[in-house]
Amino acid sequence: MADDLTARSTSTGAVAATPRDARAADLAPARSAAGAVGGQRRRRRSVSSNARKRLEIAFFVAPALALFVLFVVVPVVQAVRYSTYKWNGLGPMDDFVGLDNYTQALRDTVFTDAVMHNLIIIVLSIIIQLPLGLAIALLLNREIWGRTALRVIIFVPYVLAEVVAGVVWLMLLQPNGVIDAMFDAVGLGGLTQLWLGDPDVALGTVMVVLTWKYLGLAIILFLAGLQGVSADLYEAAQLDGASWWQVQRRITIPLLGPTIRTWGFLSIIGALQLFDMVWILTGGGPANSTMTMATYLINQGTNRSLYGYASAVAVILFVISLIIAALYQYLVLRRDNPQAPKPRKAKA
Amino acid sequence: MARNRVLSAVALTAGVAMLAACGGGGSDTAAEGSDSGDNTITWWHNSNSDPGKGVYEQVAKDFEAENPGVTIEISALAHEDMLTRLDAAFQTGDTPDVYMERGGGELAAHVEAGLTKDITEDSAEAIEKIGGSVAGWQVDDKTYALPFSVGVVGFWYNTELFTQAGITEAPTTMDELYAAIEKLKAAGIQPISVGAGDKWPAAHYWYYFAQRECSEDAMSAATTDGDLSDECFVRAGEDLEELIAAEPFNEGFLATPAQTGPTSASGLLATEQVAMELAGHWEPGVMQGLTEDKQGLGEKTGWFPFPAVEGGEGDPESAMGGGDAWAVSAEAPDAATDFANYLLSDEVQTTFAENSMGLPTNPAATGSVADPALADLLTYRDEEASSVQLYLDTYFGENVGGAMNDAIALMFAGEASPQDIVDATQTALDNE
Amino acid sequence: MSAPTFTPATGRPALLEDPPPRRGKGFSGGNVAIYAIALIVVVATLGPVIYAILGGFRSNPQLAADPVGLPDPWIITNYVNVLTSPEFWRYALNSTVVALITTALVAVFGVMAAYPLARYDFKGRGLLTTVFTLGLLFPLTVAIIPLFLMIRDLNLTNSFWGVALPQAAFSLPMTIVILRPFLMALPKELEEAAQLDGTSRIGFFWRILLPLSGPAMVTVGVLAFVASWNSYLLPLLILNDPAAQTLPLGVAGFSSEHAQDTAGVLAFTSLAMIPALIFFLAMEKRIVNGLQGAVKG
Repeated sequence: MADDLTARSTSTGAVAATPRDARAADLAPARSAAGAVGGQRRRRRSVSSNARKRLEIAFFVAPALALFVLFVVVPVVQAVRYSTYKWNGLGPMDDFVGLDNYTQALRDTVFTDAVMHNLIIIVLSIIIQLPLGLAIALLLNREIWGRTALRVIIFVPYVLAEVVAGVVWLMLLQPNGVIDAMFDAVGLGGLTQLWLGDPDVALGTVMVVLTWKYLGLAIILFLAGLQGVSADLYEAAQLDGASWWQVQRRITIPLLGPTIRTWGFLSIIGALQLFDMVWILTGGGPANSTMTMATYLINQGTNRSLYGYASAVAVILFVISLIIAALYQYLVLRRDNPQAPKPRKAKA
Repeated sequence: MARNRVLSAVALTAGVAMLAACGGGGSDTAAEGSDSGDNTITWWHNSNSDPGKGVYEQVAKDFEAENPGVTIEISALAHEDMLTRLDAAFQTGDTPDVYMERGGGELAAHVEAGLTKDITEDSAEAIEKIGGSVAGWQVDDKTYALPFSVGVVGFWYNTELFTQAGITEAPTTMDELYAAIEKLKAAGIQPISVGAGDKWPAAHYWYYFAQRECSEDAMSAATTDGDLSDECFVRAGEDLEELIAAEPFNEGFLATPAQTGPTSASGLLATEQVAMELAGHWEPGVMQGLTEDKQGLGEKTGWFPFPAVEGGEGDPESAMGGGDAWAVSAEAPDAATDFANYLLSDEVQTTFAENSMGLPTNPAATGSVADPALADLLTYRDEEASSVQLYLDTYFGENVGGAMNDAIALMFAGEASPQDIVDATQTALDNE
Repeated sequence: MSAPTFTPATGRPALLEDPPPRRGKGFSGGNVAIYAIALIVVVATLGPVIYAILGGFRSNPQLAADPVGLPDPWIITNYVNVLTSPEFWRYALNSTVVALITTALVAVFGVMAAYPLARYDFKGRGLLTTVFTLGLLFPLTVAIIPLFLMIRDLNLTNSFWGVALPQAAFSLPMTIVILRPFLMALPKELEEAAQLDGTSRIGFFWRILLPLSGPAMVTVGVLAFVASWNSYLLPLLILNDPAAQTLPLGVAGFSSEHAQDTAGVLAFTSLAMIPALIFFLAMEKRIVNGLQGAVKG
């Protein structure tokens, strides 16, 4: 506080002083920043400019920091606190239960199954979408008629809200609905299932809808990555007599590495938090067969008013995400920036 | 608590600063809710299709005409949707002025949290008229809501399909029910629809089996002491397992919703895809909303009580049911209580009965029930049933009730044993 | 005083660069198989969307008689009913307002915070940057229960701010992560020249930096807008008053309340898609760039 007050008085003083001084002071950081790149620092700053700078920094950073602390940091800390209480949200929170909520969650097979479903969705998303997306992107990465339109069309499912897409798919998947009619039309009527009603099938159905929704993102990202691959490489390879497939395998796909790893990360993070689509399609059912961590959390938290318990589930969700993100960062993403000049931050 | 309040103050200041920063704000909308003007009453109900919707719009208009200056804002919501929103509203304290209470553990929790108004005195006249049914909405001898429809759960069936399958008498025992199921199947008719996707319609079977299997002592040990140790609760699960094993239910019942759309359990009965469904008094009204001609099953509607279970220690004549009551939120204007009383008046209850919107509780309206099926149900409720036991999930409240319903729904998927249901419910009760 | 003009071409970070068009090089396609695959992709992608739009032009008996089929005759009443219902417009308006507030908060606060983090040299800069960046690790889902209760305590339930403020807060980390390297890459000479002209750093920010960071701001703005427009979980818990609900809640609510009116639901859903489709497809490149940049940093 006292620091602030001095800062204000001195800074007005500085403004009242000669404009030359102020200008010189203003120049300093630019030079020093430039110097820092070269590995040396200059420390010749007047007190007034320092204080003024601090004020400026506060002015610029304060709104974002306040918003961030209030609506991100505080709730996250609160979640950890709530998770050690038994509380229904109506009365005072005074029933401290330690780690009971955590052990209860980890003992509940509905929750551990939900974690498993999230992991299955992560693995299947990558196994299905990576080869499919890559194949389509490679095939479409050439001058074909309607290419621009194609790019836009492929992006359509991704930009739709999950809720909107979910409602449409819910209607398509009704018993005796459109999907069943299409199976009948091509003579596969015997294969129709209770797409969302059979516990053995529902997760697979959700997976298909998710593939529809997110394959476009993979294709578009891969296509964008392919544009960065120099055309000269192709020509050189072609002159060497390499086949199309050899060129893709030896040159294109390795060069696409960073893009693929980027996409993988987005895909994993999305799968860990999956809520909207499942909520609309199945609500986590039938018989909990499509329950994800997030639907379980909302089910227990807001539908049953078990706020302490749901907070423990949220913390577990976070820890799992953190572990997976860190592993991915360590094992996969690290390759993309091996000698970065500045320390890399954790990404999510 | 103190820390919370400091936090709120900080955030509010930030919010105000942001409003100012973004050029005068202006869009601070719907923060109205409970305390917007003294004479606006917000009213949530679940008659979201005609005739109920129209009737209630007229009722609101009539009340506004008689009470100049009072405005009623109606939200006609689908039943499930209303429950979700009410839950949220109770959490936020932004409760509508007049809303539906189902009694039991839920009401007790709302009363404890100070959300619901004590209307013992302001509604004395209506309470007296309703008589005994009001007991389910009293906590510590004070009345918190006015039941406007109290019904019982039983099998609604399609009389024509029954005849077609050669069933001449409605089943009265489980053996007869099994015989009926076989006959329907033989005739190529799906016997029963159940909205197990919403869980509670599936859970009703277990409640009824428990009621048939359990002596009065065992039942009250469960409801008052939270003790499910009596063997009869396991037997209830075994009865249910046997029924599920007979495969009487509609295709895809695990994901079938209770009442939304033509493929819901009610929709299947209304469109004659199945022969019967275990449901409450709301069924004819729901079915009407789900058919193009707004007739539901019309003339073909039949009803029979849940069959007796051989060897059961419970009263085979007892019914399971519950009802809906108009409650007034704690901070509602006085006009809201007047409106709740008006909703129970002879006039409104008679209109309610004439439009077959439920089973009126005001005796003046008893004779006006137009729908013959509902009239029969009313006769059954008032004259034949020995007692009406409140739905167990309502009785236990959302937490225990939810855990119990989850376990029962799992049994329908073949993933829970009779003992699992008892264990899940007992664990939840012990954690309360 | 005239602000010095600079060509923004210099020192733009790679993530926002348009790739140079590649014409007539590489492997020229054109064989039938490629077009066949393209066609399958298009059909699979657009099938459900087209079904919804065409279904809206059919009647319920038509839909019941044949789930797959063209409208015969074409019926526009479903669409007319939706377009003349005040609910639809209210949902759309609410979505727009919430998304605009969120976007404005994110863009303004984000670029303000990114500026000193990128171009000031001060103690604690690294720490502050790390704090914001760590925010990327916290999905909204993790904080949803306390947020829900906090919004209730703040009496912001059913208000646009109750949704916009948390959404903006959770979008800030990504915004700063995208903007900071962008601002860092602008040439140092900018400041030196500005200072020679006697412009203060705050003046420099408003008059020079802000206009130059336009492209990056559009990218973060579009990302925030998309996220807000499509969001479901937070509004689901915060907005329980139908008058304050956004389009995704409206679609979900309408589809369960009018479940027996399949054609009506399809019409409602189709109309709910259109504004988003037009806007987001126009912004496709921005969204892709942003998503790529978000992870590459």
